[in-house]
Amino acid sequence: MSDDLRSLTDLDRLIHEPARLLIVTILSTAESADFLFLQRETGLTKGNLSAHLSKLEEGGYVKIEKTFKGKLPLTVCKLTASGQKAFQGYRQQMQAFIMQTK
Amino acid sequence: MKDEISQIEQRVKRYWYSDGIGELTGGGVFLLLGLYFTAQQYFGDESLAGSLLQTAFIVILIGALFLGRKLINFLKARVTYPRTGYVEYRQSGRNAILMRVLSAVVAMIVAGAAILITRRIDAIDSTVALTGILVGVILVVNQGWSSRMGRFYFLSAASFVLGGVLSVSGLPRGYNLGLFYALMAIAFAVSGGLTLKHYLRENELPLETGNE
Repeated sequence: MSDDLRSLTDLDRLIHEPARLLIVTILSTAESADFLFLQRETGLTKGNLSAHLSKLEEGGYVKIEKTFKGKLPLTVCKLTASGQKAFQGYRQQMQAFIMQTK
Repeated sequence: MKDEISQIEQRVKRYWYSDGIGELTGGGVFLLLGLYFTAQQYFGDESLAGSLLQTAFIVILIGALFLGRKLINFLKARVTYPRTGYVEYRQSGRNAILMRVLSAVVAMIVAGAAILITRRIDAIDSTVALTGILVGVILVVNQGWSSRMGRFYFLSAASFVLGGVLSVSGLPRGYNLGLFYALMAIAFAVSGGLTLKHYLRENELPLETGNE
């Protein structure tokens, strides 16, 4: 296996999954975003989004805070420092891979 | 992939401007400024009211900006967040701050050159010309470039044109500035109003509010 292809196997799979990559990209731009915004931007169902957010939270990449706005529940998600670092690393890896294979 | 990620990042940044609330509030601030300069011209520098207005300018300006920000957050919490969600933005990074400082310097140089040119011609009101240039440049750099939304370029063009046209109108300076800000307030209100109308039509309030 060439080094180019081998570098692909090193990719962070927690971020590499398209839906989670979308979530992490959104959260890397904003300080934090709520569940409704993420759902609208990603086009995922509530269940799907919840599942992906849980995986990212388990990996320590996302911090989820469940609060209330008046009587309404509000879920605010934020990328942690390790999530930010992992996303930057992923972008660099992908860019390097694309450059090598051009 | 880089382009797709950049597009997503851009979309998140543009979300702030998607409802037109910022422009409507900005229009309100411009209207206040318009009233301020008109009142100052009406009362004159010699009168007590005129002197008080002159002294209170910074307080009025900072107060309007502070209240404007509060009003934007208040309206977004009631109109935007329940419909399309809440986003908190990061503080501007070093590059963004540098860009703003650079744009302010460029605007001052251009405005300074405009003053030097217009001073030689008595018929031109350099203050309103300078204001038109400054507001126009700030709109291009602060809103246009960062959001890549065409309507901010139109507003910027409106500022340049109004500043230019009013600078040769022959009106007293206070009325000239008052008219400039009032017309800019109308431009902002139209732009923000149309954007808000479109936003509300596209995004109805969900039946079940609140998050998972």
